Amino acid sequence: MYPAEFAYERPSSLDGVFTALQQNPGDAKLLAGGQSLLPMMKLRLATPAMLVDLAGAAELRGQWRTDSGVRIGALTSYRELQRSPRTLSLLPGLADTLEVIADQQVRARGTVGGALAHGDPTADLPALMLALDAEVRIRSRGGERVVALGDFITGIFSTDLADDDVLTAVDVPLPPPSTGAAYEKFEQPASHLALCGVAAALAIEGGTIQHARVAMTGVSATPRRLTTVEDALLGAAADPSSLDEIAALAPHGVEPLNDLHAPAEYRSHLLEIATRRALHRAAARAGMRWTE
Amino acid sequence: MDPARNTDVVVDLEVNGRSEVRTVPARTLLVHFLRENLGLTGTHVGCDTTQCGACTVELDGVAVKSCTVLAAQAAGSTVRTIEDASASTDGGLDRVQRAFWDEHGLQCGFCTPGMVLAVRQLLRDNPRPTDDEIRHGIDGNLCRCTGYQNIVAAARKAAEAGPTMAKAD
Ligand SMILES: Cc1cc2nc3c(=O)[nH]c(=O)nc-3n(C[C@H](O)[C@H](O)[C@H](O)COP(=O)(O)OP(=O)(O)OC[C@H]3O[C@@H](n4cnc5c(N)ncnc54)[C@H](O)[C@@H]3O)c2cc1C
Ligand code: FES
Ligand code: FES
Repeated sequence: MYPAEFAYERPSSLDGVFTALQQNPGDAKLLAGGQSLLPMMKLRLATPAMLVDLAGAAELRGQWRTDSGVRIGALTSYRELQRSPRTLSLLPGLADTLEVIADQQVRARGTVGGALAHGDPTADLPALMLALDAEVRIRSRGGERVVALGDFITGIFSTDLADDDVLTAVDVPLPPPSTGAAYEKFEQPASHLALCGVAAALAIEGGTIQHARVAMTGVSATPRRLTTVEDALLGAAADPSSLDEIAALAPHGVEPLNDLHAPAEYRSHLLEIATRRALHRAAARAGMRWTE
Repeated sequence: MDPARNTDVVVDLEVNGRSEVRTVPARTLLVHFLRENLGLTGTHVGCDTTQCGACTVELDGVAVKSCTVLAAQAAGSTVRTIEDASASTDGGLDRVQRAFWDEHGLQCGFCTPGMVLAVRQLLRDNPRPTDDEIRHGIDGNLCRCTGYQNIVAAARKAAEAGPTMAKAD
């Protein structure tokens, strides 16, 4: 399988990327790790006339400690993150999530920026990043803007990115101290993509839940936070039976996808199970003690 | 598309220790570049949809699926294919290949080049993997013959045989 013909450029800076985009208005596409875009081009689901490879833009590489948390450059690969102990220790749930994405070869190429910019309704990283209140940084020739990830994801394979925008980094604030987080996934066995994935981040004080973020992917048109679950968790007793009761709320208000990979009822069912497991594991990591 | 636009690229890279330069269409995938332009047919195409891992090569020392990398993206990089896996053994087999031989880790052999390079990557990252970690590590490689049992045994044996020859990235 070959992609349709295209021209290729690899500018050596972010400015060069903007110039290449400006010279090819409308028919150029950005290439990062290529692990989503190239398979789509081989199937001719995408036929851009020009690829602008971001690989030469050093500005997009790196991980930095900021005042409020961690900034991860868009070109950082999953593999690089898996080998960054400092980032993994600052962002709970990240190690769990990376471990279940694709396979070692795909993780070596796939990037954080690509994972968010692709807008795939079944991608894993967006769920965790939603649970960690991440924001994306977007540059265009005109300037820079920062958008909350929940607002950035607008639909199936669609985001707030314009044709000449580049996602430069994701900013992840540190969650409250002693937050425990976990990611639970049921995968489509051939593609590894999520039929249902749930990320949970909890902080517990004096047996009561003080901070709760729960987000899912794979189940509906976009990854999104489960605010009904979050609201119920806040102030609730941190014990197994109340976590189970609250997990049962997960499918409420969610419109599940119904496709060849799984019927809607099955996805709803998985959503409750994954939520329950993620809550239990996050709570255990947040220091909750119980005897089961 | 604009007919005046140049859809060829110059690809200049090092493959198995040799410098190679070719002008190819930009849409050329690394696997086709290796097989058709350089005649290195040890790298296989199994699925062409990024799922089977038969096309695995080392790009700058890290295992990747060469059916999902453009030759143009590899320009300026170092590529190592199965043909060079035993380069440091003076004509023999490297320890992963040796372990596949000893443990009967192949039948038809179609998946083997990719499996060997995937196992080498796994052992560079985790020199003493458990069986579960081996199975997780070769998640991106499919075998239609062996049922994986002997591949896992081969990876275990290669791990016991000591550090891999390839340098870590
Ligand atoms: C076999 C296989 C299994 C997979 N399994 C999983 C899985 O289990 N879980 C999972 O979450 N994902 C999975 N994926 C998808 C994988 O995670 C992709 O690598 C990732 O989603 C895209 O990152 P990329 O760097 O490869 O992006 P690319 O493919 O290069 O780009 C994807 C899209 O994003 C745009 N883009 C990329 N970077 C930027 C940027 N900085 N600014 C603006 N636009 C940008 C591109 O123009 C393109 O439209 C799998 C992929 C394969 C091939
Ligand atoms: S041919 Fe590349 S993964 Fe199957
Ligand atoms: S030995 Fe035949 S596919 Fe693996």
